[in-house]
Amino acid sequence: MHRYRFVFLRPLQFLPVIFGISIITFILVRLIPGDPARVLLGTRATPTAIANIRAQFGLDEPIWLQYLYFLRNLANGEMGKSILYKIDVLKLIATRIEPTLALVVCSVLLSIAIAVPMASIAARNAGRGPDHAVRIISTFGIGFPPFWLGLMLIILFSVKLDLLPVSGYGATFGDKLSHLILPSLTIALSLSTVLTRSLRAAMIEGLKSDVATAARARGMPERIVFWRHVLPNSLVPTINLLAVNTGWLIGGTVVVESVFALPGMGQLLVRAIFSRDYMVVQGVAMVFACATVLVNFLADIATVAADPRVKL
Amino acid sequence: MSAAILSVRDLTVKAHLDDETRILLDAVSLDLAKGEILGLVGESGSGKSLFCRSLVRLLPSSRLKIEAGSVLLEGQDLTAISDAEMLNIRGGEIGMIFQNPSSHLDPVMRIGDQIAEGIRYHQGLDGKSARRAATEILSQVGFPDPICQYQSYPHEFSGGMRQRAMIAVALSCNPKILIADEPTTALDVTIQAQILQLLMELRDRRGLSIILITHDLGIVAQTCDRIAIMRGGKLLEEGPKRQILSRPRDPYTIKLIHSHPSMPDAEPVAEVAVAAAPVKPILEIDDLHVRFRVGGSLFRGSAVKTVSAVSGISLQIMPGETVGIVGESGSGKSTLARAVLGLTPLTSGHISFEGADLALQRQASLKKLRREAAMVFQDPFNALNPRMTIGQTIGEVLLVQGKIAKADIPQRIDELLDLVGLDREFASRKPRSMSGGQCQRAGIARALAVDPKLIIADECVAALDVTIQAQIIDLFRELAARMNLTLLFIAHDLAIVRNLCARTIVMYRGEVVEDGPSEQVFSRPSHSYTASLVAAIPDINPDKSLFSDARRVPQSIPSIKSMP
Repeated sequence: MHRYRFVFLRPLQFLPVIFGISIITFILVRLIPGDPARVLLGTRATPTAIANIRAQFGLDEPIWLQYLYFLRNLANGEMGKSILYKIDVLKLIATRIEPTLALVVCSVLLSIAIAVPMASIAARNAGRGPDHAVRIISTFGIGFPPFWLGLMLIILFSVKLDLLPVSGYGATFGDKLSHLILPSLTIALSLSTVLTRSLRAAMIEGLKSDVATAARARGMPERIVFWRHVLPNSLVPTINLLAVNTGWLIGGTVVVESVFALPGMGQLLVRAIFSRDYMVVQGVAMVFACATVLVNFLADIATVAADPRVKL
Repeated sequence: MSAAILSVRDLTVKAHLDDETRILLDAVSLDLAKGEILGLVGESGSGKSLFCRSLVRLLPSSRLKIEAGSVLLEGQDLTAISDAEMLNIRGGEIGMIFQNPSSHLDPVMRIGDQIAEGIRYHQGLDGKSARRAATEILSQVGFPDPICQYQSYPHEFSGGMRQRAMIAVALSCNPKILIADEPTTALDVTIQAQILQLLMELRDRRGLSIILITHDLGIVAQTCDRIAIMRGGKLLEEGPKRQILSRPRDPYTIKLIHSHPSMPDAEPVAEVAVAAAPVKPILEIDDLHVRFRVGGSLFRGSAVKTVSAVSGISLQIMPGETVGIVGESGSGKSTLARAVLGLTPLTSGHISFEGADLALQRQASLKKLRREAAMVFQDPFNALNPRMTIGQTIGEVLLVQGKIAKADIPQRIDELLDLVGLDREFASRKPRSMSGGQCQRAGIARALAVDPKLIIADECVAALDVTIQAQIIDLFRELAARMNLTLLFIAHDLAIVRNLCARTIVMYRGEVVEDGPSEQVFSRPSHSYTASLVAAIPDINPDKSLFSDARRVPQSIPSIKSMP
């Protein structure tokens, strides 16, 4: 199984990537104008109180020393303390990671579940009515911004039909799932359009390919030709597209989490930025960045699994 | 002749285009007897592939329609049955194999599963028995380790093994008729002989009837019982092999037979009288090695392996020589050509072109090479810029070379087109509106625009029809004689090299195993590898059998592809 050897070797390459990410997030966060101590204590704080807070969180040290502390903490698996919440950043993230993770996974699964049938219908009827219908739906999906789409879905399913909760996150598994349906759908509706278009093009190519001709020539019905030969071959180029979009999605949950008041990392990040909570911003950015690296890694594994010709 | 298993009458196929209707198959009638191999011969566009696809209603476009005629398979008219019934005919009664196994096998499915798929569908077996049957078929078509190779993917096999796999996929449905569409065109001669032999064995063992589509009359002469010649959608003539080959009636058949390069009485190439005065070689290659790195990455430097594509070649090419380089694919002949033109870095050794050493003074000799050497490529269509007219393509070369004044360029383009036998109006045409042969002529014109001393042609006729091949070869012969060109002609088709080149170099595993005057190399090969190559050429004379023991490909010389 030497084709999968990269699974063990590739993570070594992550180290320099994560190191680079840590420098960039550290510097960018400190470029945001404003002072966390001042934001925390309000406009009437005394200079002494501000100086105390600054000393307490190490903000009075030179910036390179602050970065070294940050690195030392990272190496120990810590990310410092939140200035606003006064608790460990990692613990804070741990309480918020589940809704975001669940949202991303549900959105990706849902968008695949939408894209594969849509692309299949379009490709098998290329140039005819169903193909045009799929294209029009896709164009709408791209055209509507997610925040608006989310609001419309809330009005329709929650307010008018009263089928699903308006916002927030549940406690039990079923409750959580019902809270995730609308936000996932909001993301999936726009994500699936990109996937549909890529899949459709690959499928049309596949239906005309020699592989399909050969399958037909040995008497395989169109159904088998499509599902067993055309579909697996057209998935390969779509995997990477999905990975790129998932990376984008991880950072992009911010808007959807705000619309649906999901207590996830996106919300945490927004609040941390407003209160100049450096440690939290850094921590969340690091988690997002690592997640993106991880998703691309998983996509590489999926590509190798889907296409026996690929060697990494 | 025994009763026909397949009987086609007046099959007519028309293409309904936007503004016209074109007849692609014009009332073709043919019979195929049980256990017979019928050779269907014609150039591309003659309708031979379309004819076979029409039998099972696999038309390449929805604009094509079968307009008239009948296809009787054991009395059942295939033009009258429903699409659902046709599914059982396809594969189950009439199987097909194609020219390019690499693109017709599913790259993401195991070979064995592709065979088992047909067995399960057509014979209704369960997974386990289908698997056993598929393994059995794999061993029938010559896979040495079928149980293990069942698990392999197509890309893990060589071209010859892929073609065997495709035959296995076709056999999986247990058909009575096998249509083989140019099954060996993409293969080396030695592998071609093995595949043809396999087809004949299968015919004998299973009583298969085979329609063999090919453009090579040599293959037909060696394998078929009857021949049918097609051109422009019409069946020109048809009859027993010996009758057609010895007493062809149709002028086109006569032309086809005469343009076959393995004609036994092909006139030996006149020895080009190399000038008596001592001349310096135009090209000198001294102990050339080219190695490629395979595998290896940032984290396993120790595991880096190199593959030697060219190992230790020394050659001298004199001005005005026509040299053919032959060998199987993978023998390093293209790498050698690319190295000579400075397109591939040399690992060690020297190449000097008129005294300029490519290894020592790279920039200077590259500059010289670009001005005095040119290349003609294998795929004439893709080697031309599709967005430029032929005139622009040639003009670009003339402009960059700066050998003639800018104002004279249009006139020079006309001269070059005359030289390669293209009408002058082609200067304003783009490649997509030209045929393969015309594109190749334009490619040669572009090479000539450099006003080169040396032309390297890499498999430049491999993609062309036989009659067009013969024309291009004639053109090369004429140009070489007229312009005192030095020609390095790379081909896997030995007959063509024998026909065109005065000197032949045989390459095997990156080394030159034989080098000498063509007549001598082909009639008295001194190396056993050359002998096996020569023996594998299908002769147009059916009595010189490809498969007799005397000419049987020696097994002691392994093909490059079978190397571990």
